[in-house]
Amino acid sequence: MVSTRTWLQVGGGVVVAALVTAAFLQGRVAEDTWTANDPVGECGTGALGGEIGHDSGGEVLAIQNVLSATHSLGPADSTWDADTDKAVRAFQAWTGLPVDGCVNTNTWVTMRALVVPVCAPEYNCQGPDQLLHWGPARDSRDAWFLDANCDWASWVLPGVAQSPVASRTPYEFSREPLSELRCEG
Amino acid sequence: MTMITDYRKATRRNEMILGGAVALVVVLAVVAVTLLITMRDDPELPPDDAEDARELTADTCAAGVRQPAWVPDSVMRAAVACPEDISRRVGDSTSPDRLGTWIVYDLHGAPNEETVPGAAPGSWPDAEVESGAIRPATTITYVAYPGSEQLGPELGGETIEVAWMDFPEGGGDARVTRVENNGYGPVRVEWTDDAGSYLLLTVLGRTPEGRSGVEVEELLRMAGSLAG
Repeated sequence: MVSTRTWLQVGGGVVVAALVTAAFLQGRVAEDTWTANDPVGECGTGALGGEIGHDSGGEVLAIQNVLSATHSLGPADSTWDADTDKAVRAFQAWTGLPVDGCVNTNTWVTMRALVVPVCAPEYNCQGPDQLLHWGPARDSRDAWFLDANCDWASWVLPGVAQSPVASRTPYEFSREPLSELRCEG
Repeated sequence: MTMITDYRKATRRNEMILGGAVALVVVLAVVAVTLLITMRDDPELPPDDAEDARELTADTCAAGVRQPAWVPDSVMRAAVACPEDISRRVGDSTSPDRLGTWIVYDLHGAPNEETVPGAAPGSWPDAEVESGAIRPATTITYVAYPGSEQLGPELGGETIEVAWMDFPEGGGDARVTRVENNGYGPVRVEWTDDAGSYLLLTVLGRTPEGRSGVEVEELLRMAGSLAG
């Protein structure tokens, strides 16, 4: 006969497994919708006096990639600068966001909503599979991304990428340093 | 000389005047009733000379693709990117048969025109940047994924509003995703049918004078007019 203690242990195990699974799924959804991304740019200082917004790395590159399509920003080198700041502000004004130069969750989500899968939803495309295609129809600009199993990556076109960013290379949405996306398994 | 009036002629003249007046009243009544009926029906019926929007992509690789037969009046032209084009742009890393076909519609009017300067953003005037005067062209992007009956994952976030909305002229519904930034922001309309899955994307943009883009209702009408 199974003891009460065993039932409690099994029940506890199930609860823990459910919580871990839910946390994983929630994390994955947050990555898909870009709500898990860090603040970037002019986001003020924290309680300890440090800057809140990151100013280099994969997340800056992702923003520069978006802005290369919407506002002809170039080059994309993964470092926050005056051009990136001004283009972010123009993006925020255009899309109705507060114009503050800080790419917080609301600006990330707005950028994410412009990105469209190139492949049918049930298929798994090889290589970059998400496209931000903007500008006048006959002179449009592209920004490519890759929605991998583990995270998103920027995939910058030649002519936009500038050292240390290499074109046609998947860079993860990391803080720093800039790193290529490698999903395990 | 004495003038003698023939009473029979006078009577005939009176009868003609009376007949003409009655005819005029009848004609006016017919015109008025016709106008009333026309004015009441106009918003419901498309104009007789309305063109099928599929003509915008005639002679392109999208000619046989299911696409909107109706587009808003502000649409002036369309550009097409077919699966082979898309595949080529990413170095032929993906098989074209799994890729969507893209139709990008340009919109008329100053608020929808591209105003991004050629100069580097660092030199853009602050006042123009902050007012929304520097912005990309407003377009409507349509993507058809043949053979697919699924929608992509739902977007989430504090400013995201997702709702299923009926097509204005019936025949189905679509998932409408709005990024609600003080009345502005991107709008995605996604739906499926037996032949595939589809997406419409635009931005309700802020401009110094007001707003660019089209109404959500117009996107839904486009979605409901799919043909081909």
